[in-house]
Amino acid sequence: MSGTRLLENFHYIGAVILFCVGLYSVIIQKNIIKKIIGLNIMETSVFFFLVSLGYLSKGQPPIYVNGVEAGQMVNPIPQALILTGIVVAVSTTAVALALVILLYKQYGTLDVDKLMREEEE
Amino acid sequence: MGAYSHFPIFIIAIPMVMAVLMPAIGYKNEKYCPKAVVVALLSSTTLTGLLFFRVKPEGYLSYHMSSWEPPFGIEIRIDFLSLFILATICAISLLVAIFSQKYILKELEANKIPSFYCLFLLLTASMLGFVATGDIFNMFVFMEILALSSYALVAIAGNREAVRAAFKYLLMGAPSSIMVLLAITLLYSVTGTLNMADLSAKIADSGYREVLFASIVIFLIGFGVKAALFPLHMWLPDAHSIAPSPISAMLSGLVVEVGAYAILRILFSVFTTSSPTLSGTSEVLGIISAAGVLFGGILAITQKDFKMMIAYSTISHIGYILLGISVMNDKALTGSVFHIFDHGMAKACFFLCAGAFIYKKGYRRIEDLKGAARQMPWTSFAFSLAALSVIGIPPTAGFISKWYLIWGCIAGGYYLYAVIFLVGSVLAAVYCLRIIYYIFFLAPDEEKWSRKVDEAPLRILIPVWTLSLSTFVFGVISFLIIPSLQQAATFLIIR
Repeated sequence: MSGTRLLENFHYIGAVILFCVGLYSVIIQKNIIKKIIGLNIMETSVFFFLVSLGYLSKGQPPIYVNGVEAGQMVNPIPQALILTGIVVAVSTTAVALALVILLYKQYGTLDVDKLMREEEE
Repeated sequence: MGAYSHFPIFIIAIPMVMAVLMPAIGYKNEKYCPKAVVVALLSSTTLTGLLFFRVKPEGYLSYHMSSWEPPFGIEIRIDFLSLFILATICAISLLVAIFSQKYILKELEANKIPSFYCLFLLLTASMLGFVATGDIFNMFVFMEILALSSYALVAIAGNREAVRAAFKYLLMGAPSSIMVLLAITLLYSVTGTLNMADLSAKIADSGYREVLFASIVIFLIGFGVKAALFPLHMWLPDAHSIAPSPISAMLSGLVVEVGAYAILRILFSVFTTSSPTLSGTSEVLGIISAAGVLFGGILAITQKDFKMMIAYSTISHIGYILLGISVMNDKALTGSVFHIFDHGMAKACFFLCAGAFIYKKGYRRIEDLKGAARQMPWTSFAFSLAALSVIGIPPTAGFISKWYLIWGCIAGGYYLYAVIFLVGSVLAAVYCLRIIYYIFFLAPDEEKWSRKVDEAPLRILIPVWTLSLSTFVFGVISFLIIPSLQQAATFLIIR
């Protein structure tokens, strides 16, 4: 029973895998640009999960025309939410990259280990 | 009704609009910026003050954005607890803004001043929105504005340490924001709503216990990073000690408290106390915050840098607030909310005192503060008065909140937690009295501190003294505030 339900909701598994890949690269990668890429993958996985909640096979746009009933429409809220979410993600990435530029100017490296070693000195 | 009904949105909108206008205001002459900031925050403070006549302890004020009824539209919902915290945020940021006027010229170049005030107002406005909103996704958006402006403010000096501290903050903060979004998504997937009041009604009869449990754990991790809950605090000491002092005061006095307030909202307003999902979670929260109280206190004692010590003391005090929340009765909750208030004032005062020392002499190490009281007696006395509140000596506000926290723990049967509070107070006494000993009783090096009184300017002293006196005054008049807070807390718990 639960196996078939898992297969029906295969997109959830995709979201979980993406989230883990993102979290892995944020934590494990040494290069801070790769960490930021990981951050974006994490964000994408959440957006993917959110937008797949609103998916309906053969769904119609949520507009009352041509006799479309409410039951046939896709849920518009997740789409509106991820639109906001993407804006937030872009601004976070922009701030992060600006900080990376400053870090590189000051330290001349993008390696997290080297940055932390500087701290101990 | 009438004009009254639009107050909630203006409290948030005035600072936010002013923030966007800041580069234009500072274009000709950056001297106008701080004045505009003070005007914006003064009007927000006034509006918040007027709302106290409107919001009763058992009720709440609901404002519907562009007249869309909740649960479809965004709702601003102010009950007595959030109003109390809104007032704290407005008042402290107003005082910090007055302090920055003179101080920030010392730490930043003139061309950075408009952007500093722009980010400062964005930080304040997003905190106000974060506390006032009744929509969980809106909360996430305000949290992101809060987070982004605080990363930028930590990095604003642009030197090596500042950039590294900001990046460290971002590397922990950004994943935690995604966690919060994930938790919101999980809640949405089982209830189909984003309005907090609606969520709490629908959670009770949605069957998916595992999903709800996952969501609350992810919420705690996400907001735990924002609130610097014990094992997730690694960003805090660097960010709080390296940022310019007024920003340290904001981050330490308000931003982490707002994170703790978010945990309060999630536990009590979204998941109600009757929810079975909470039973295990609150105990785990209690244990880790108790560990945080001890850890922060012990590390604060070992610090050599003055601002670093205050930052570790913040970790300890966040532990108090979350411990009070995890006990889940009205006494402890009253204590927690009052502690958000008085810890905010005392910690802001600490950082502003540290700022006054830096302004005058540029010394940050505790060693260098030996005998500072001879040259700067007023700052030193203000520090000592705030220290009494941090330790929890009777008439101060810090005593009142600790009294209620310990009372709540004993009433709930958590005797061990009551002991932890006492141990935490002893640790606070050790690290505060150590500073007081250095400042007042050790002979200064003649070349470092002169024997003649040479104080910081009045614009720095007035906010410092207002904050330290109000920790004292609000302790004395706490009998006016506590009953309403307790009524509001009871209302939140028995719902």
